[in-house]
Amino acid sequence: MVRTVLDQGMIGRVGRVTGVIGPGRLGEVMIAVRGGSEAFNAYASDPGETISKGARVVVVEYFPPRTVVVSPA
Amino acid sequence: MNIGSFISTVAVVAIVSALAVLVLLVLLFKSTWRIAEPNEALIISGRPHRNKGLEESLGFKIVTGRGTLVMPGLQAVRRLSLDLRETDLQIDCVTHQGIPLRVRGVVIYKVGDDLVSVANAARRFLDQQNQMDQRVHNLFAGHLRAIIGNMTVEEMIRDREKLTELTREHAGTEMEKLGLIVDSLQIQEILDPTAYIQNLALPHAAAVEREARIARAQADREATEKEQEAEAQKALARRDTQIRQAGYQAEVDRAAAQAKQAGPLSEATARQQVVVEETRVAELEAERREKDLLVEVRKPADAKAYEQVTLSRAQRDAHIQEAEARAREIELQAAADAARVKLAAGAQAERVKVEAEASSAQTRMIGEAEAAATQARGLAEGEAIRARGMAEAEAIKARAEALEGNQDAIIGQQLAEKWPEIVEAAAKPFGDIDQMIVLNGAQGISDALAQALSQGIAGLQLARRLLVDPNGVAPITAGPRPEGGGSPVARRDRSRSGRTPNEADSV
Repeated sequence: MVRTVLDQGMIGRVGRVTGVIGPGRLGEVMIAVRGGSEAFNAYASDPGETISKGARVVVVEYFPPRTVVVSPA
Repeated sequence: MNIGSFISTVAVVAIVSALAVLVLLVLLFKSTWRIAEPNEALIISGRPHRNKGLEESLGFKIVTGRGTLVMPGLQAVRRLSLDLRETDLQIDCVTHQGIPLRVRGVVIYKVGDDLVSVANAARRFLDQQNQMDQRVHNLFAGHLRAIIGNMTVEEMIRDREKLTELTREHAGTEMEKLGLIVDSLQIQEILDPTAYIQNLALPHAAAVEREARIARAQADREATEKEQEAEAQKALARRDTQIRQAGYQAEVDRAAAQAKQAGPLSEATARQQVVVEETRVAELEAERREKDLLVEVRKPADAKAYEQVTLSRAQRDAHIQEAEARAREIELQAAADAARVKLAAGAQAERVKVEAEASSAQTRMIGEAEAAATQARGLAEGEAIRARGMAEAEAIKARAEALEGNQDAIIGQQLAEKWPEIVEAAAKPFGDIDQMIVLNGAQGISDALAQALSQGIAGLQLARRLLVDPNGVAPITAGPRPEGGGSPVARRDRSRSGRTPNEADSV
């Protein structure tokens, strides 16, 4: 599982939306990682879905270095 | 001793050399052991190395947050700062509406904490960390221009969410390439050469100013109303106060006036009482004086008057009684005289009758009768004169004393005074008769006497009338003549004989 090593355990982590995720819009999520919390650029796993600010999301895919795909938790 | 000192010398040397070795070891360790601070990453190159978590590597080792052994001479250690950095931006740009603006902002960024970002940044900036800001400035100027080109001024001012979103969209991927993450983009100042923002604000400012002015005016009006109300109420209260003050002042004045009047009033009352008492005293004095006068003047006067009245009344009564007595006396005397005359006449008539009857002794008897008559006449005359003088004197006295007596009385009196003359006059016809022949005996003598008496009465009436009205000469009305008789004179002539004036007294 090279990927597992590579993603540093990002998949499955739960985060909070700090910038609205919508169709054609780059959102932002805050995810607790490496003993702190970092902001990641976020897309929705469903391209037509809109996730509002403050919603809990779970990381389903990680594109290093700073991009994740999330779906509502 | 030598052995001891030797041993001690060896020990010292051994300790010192051991310390030196220890120091050497520490120095060696220090020169080979590198520690990554929390805010930095160590980039170690020189030996093929696989970073944990990285599928393949360019051959350098990235160490964060811990120490690592570095082979001096074989490996090179470089440090990459993970600190926060910021870059000031100042650009001229155009908004979505084509409005030119000069924007001054600041972008805050750092090297990403993950190994990929560190690797990307290390490859790009490891020797140019000082120039990183310049690079980012250049990069971000274009991004900011693009970001502002997609926004309106209003959005720039108000929609911070959109700004961060656009920043992420435009610069996020680009920065990822550099291994950097943008923490924040702040627009610090917008210079507006066309005064767009100012104009934008104007309607609102005007509205706000209008509202403010309205509110101020309203507040001013309300305040003025309230002030005026308060003034009115104050004036009202002041008026009430003044009215009340005036009322109290009036009461005070009234009380003062009353108090001031009380003295004179009581004085006047006292004086009034004094006057009343003085009046009573004066009245009493007057009463006393009146009584004195009554005693001194009136009673004596009354007594005097009473005395005078009584005296005069007594005098009058005396006079009256005197007069009455005299009158009575005269009356009685007259009556006595008349009675005597009557008796005398009766006797004479009897005598005449006897003479007539005794015709034979007629002449002698006539002579005797004449003598007797003359004698009687003389006596009567004397008596009459005496009586007249007496009566006259008495009558004058009575008349003077009496009040306005009635004329009848006077007349009567006068008549009474004149009575003898009248009788004389009446008796005169008889006096002239020398011879009286009576044809029808005693009857004839009675007739003749009756006629003579009636003549006397007529004369009396005439005299009475003359006395009543001395100036007027009333016609002498004789009494009714007897039928079949002659003239009175003739008859008188015929019946003259044997008649005396005294016969008339009996009428």
